[in-house]
Amino acid sequence: MIEAKNIYLSYDDNKYIIKKGNFTIKPKEFIFIGGNSGSGKSTLLKSFYGDIPLKHGSLKIENQEVFGIKGKKLRVLRKDIGIIFQDYKLINEYTIEENIMIPLKINGYSHEVSRDQANKLLAHVRLTHRAGYYPNELSGGEQQRVAVARALAHNPKIIIADEPTGNLDDYSAEVVWNLLKGANEQLGITIVVVTHRVPKNLGIKFRQLSIEDGIIYEVS
Amino acid sequence: MRFLKNIFAFLIPLLSMLITFSIFLLINNVVENYKSKISRDYSIVIVTNTPLVKESINELAGIKVENIQTLPNDKIITSIKSSLSDNSIELLKQKLPNFYQIYLEIFPTSSELEEIKQTLLQNKNIRKVEVFYKNHNQIYLLLLLLNSVSFILFFIITLFAIIIIAKQIKLWFHEHSVKIAILRLHGASVLYSASSILNYALFSSFLAFVICALFLFYVSNNMTVLFPLELHDIIDIKINLSVELMKIFLLSFCISIFTIFGVLLKYKINND
Repeated sequence: MIEAKNIYLSYDDNKYIIKKGNFTIKPKEFIFIGGNSGSGKSTLLKSFYGDIPLKHGSLKIENQEVFGIKGKKLRVLRKDIGIIFQDYKLINEYTIEENIMIPLKINGYSHEVSRDQANKLLAHVRLTHRAGYYPNELSGGEQQRVAVARALAHNPKIIIADEPTGNLDDYSAEVVWNLLKGANEQLGITIVVVTHRVPKNLGIKFRQLSIEDGIIYEVS
Repeated sequence: MRFLKNIFAFLIPLLSMLITFSIFLLINNVVENYKSKISRDYSIVIVTNTPLVKESINELAGIKVENIQTLPNDKIITSIKSSLSDNSIELLKQKLPNFYQIYLEIFPTSSELEEIKQTLLQNKNIRKVEVFYKNHNQIYLLLLLLNSVSFILFFIITLFAIIIIAKQIKLWFHEHSVKIAILRLHGASVLYSASSILNYALFSSFLAFVICALFLFYVSNNMTVLFPLELHDIIDIKINLSVELMKIFLLSFCISIFTIFGVLLKYKINND
């Protein structure tokens, strides 16, 4: 559950990117956040995992207040979230398998358990044959599938994705949407996606928010 | 190869520091050995009117007093006993002053001995102070100078080494910034995120220690490399290799860990 009450976000004190943000995202919901470039979509998403501090208001993620969060509490919050980025953010010196193991190892799982789980997820995203490869040896679509697998690895309650298909062709984008849809439908994970283009025929019930002039609107 | 290149900038300053420390330890060892050799080549004898409260003299000229020994005056009485009556002997026993010999913890220089003499004479109970010593002053002072110079050199190199090591760790942080950021976004602590840097630092420290240990082992078996052969006739040059290696090991890891945690703390303060 994500609950925002009167939140203000800014990189400096002069201009607020998000003003008076109020919204609630219920568990197991699939949410799209839209808006023009520079409208603050990614900034809003960053505030969910404490990468941008809130200036005012209250933002609760799984009943954890994000306002002023830091240190151990922030680390615990981040362990509950799976994150997918437009530029994948895979670690180039780690193999694909090792990249998927990251959240598991951070959550304290043993090397063996982490590797088993990573291999299951590699099979799920149909990349078992690439397990020993390094990210720069994979296509963009494949890298994003690895990023989805990594986001799913520790069975998070929420997955937040920032333009996950922004750099992908239509086929790869469809594969990524299907993976996120499966995570929502089969695993009951709340999915929050920032995107310019909401996929047609997703085949799942979703809600849409939009940001204009710093104000968050409910679109549908 | 890339790994070795990566640790090179860390290894060199650390190794320079450890080798300077080893040289300081060797010189310090020589000085200590020389000190113990000449430690009893001096004597401070005091004569007091009334028995001395030994506890009142703990330190002289900045040197701790190891022991104050009472010198028996029985011999004086025995030698003149035959020509004196019992009453006179009793009277003499009461009138005879007390004699003490003072032992210091370290060998004093001639100027320190003079200072000790003047300090003792200020005590109204002390009637006389006699100071005797063999003149080791020149060699001893030279060794002390060498010891101080090697320590100052070690201190300066350590300062520079810490600065260079800290810079290298910052450089590693910069090189690994993407990885650290990704790991932190997934909830990893700063320490976990920087574990590869910590591994670099620990491996470099271990490598520096091994090289330095080999150097010390070689020098301890071939002392003529550092000290001329003639010096061996004057000073017994012996080192306890295992103790010195332990000191080098501790210094190597302490400096590395202290520096890396300093940089980590700064990173945590700036990024949390």
